Amino acid sequence: VSWRSSLPPSERPGERRTAEMKKLYGKDAAKIQGMEAAMQLTFDRNCDKKQPKYWPVIPLNL
Amino acid sequence: MLRWSSRSPRHWHEFVNHEVCVTAGDQQRFEGRVFTVDPVSASVVLVSVQENECPSVRVILGHAVTDVQILRRGTEETERQMKSVFLPDRAQDLSA
Amino acid sequence: SPRFLALCPTSVPSSSSSSSDEEEQRLRAELRERFLRTLLLMTGKRVRFDMHEHVRVHARFGASDIDVLNLQVSDLETPLGVQREALLRCQDVIACSFEV
Repeated sequence: VSWRSSLPPSERPGERRTAEMKKLYGKDAAKIQGMEAAMQLTFDRNCDKKQPKYWPVIPLNL
Repeated sequence: MLRWSSRSPRHWHEFVNHEVCVTAGDQQRFEGRVFTVDPVSASVVLVSVQENECPSVRVILGHAVTDVQILRRGTEETERQMKSVFLPDRAQDLSA
Repeated sequence: SPRFLALCPTSVPSSSSSSSDEEEQRLRAELRERFLRTLLLMTGKRVRFDMHEHVRVHARFGASDIDVLNLQVSDLETPLGVQREALLRCQDVIACSFEV
């Protein structure tokens, strides 16, 4: 997505996230965002493949 | 008193490398050296290195933390030792 | 996003970043990187989970989502037997412990 895109920010979640990361982590934003993306990808892939169910079924800490 | 989870990175960072006692949940207590506090979840990562034993790592979830007290302050040596647990070959990458 | 709002209190000025902002960003990044490395180290390890209501279980850690809301685990030893694949809610968990 180009920075020149005419879409309002709410329709560019990836770009907004990058801006948020920049504000939180400054010059280390890209590194942290990369590590987080890898972690989330592993989580999503494992969940797709293994279809884990919540345990316990009812939350303990309501 | 601010809740632990609403503290700032600066506040959490003050605990890094020191031996602490974390009180959590139903009055459970955990002791160890602070490797980090996750700025997203406020979870505390403690490391214990005992002679002739594997180092053990404990993550205490931020929502459960009610109090953190410093017991003994760390040194450069404890910081180096702790980093080597997480980054055996590239400990220097995490230097502040 | 809600996550950002939770992380960035409104007291933080939204315009130009001062040197104290940069210091805060540096500290936050260092703390976050160390935490992500902790999760990577935990991957594949047998972990003990101390949960609310004095529940204690063991499982092999797979991954966490980045907001640390859910933990994906395998071979979860529950009081009623082994559940091959499971998700633990972080809200249910007090502590996770493992050996390196």
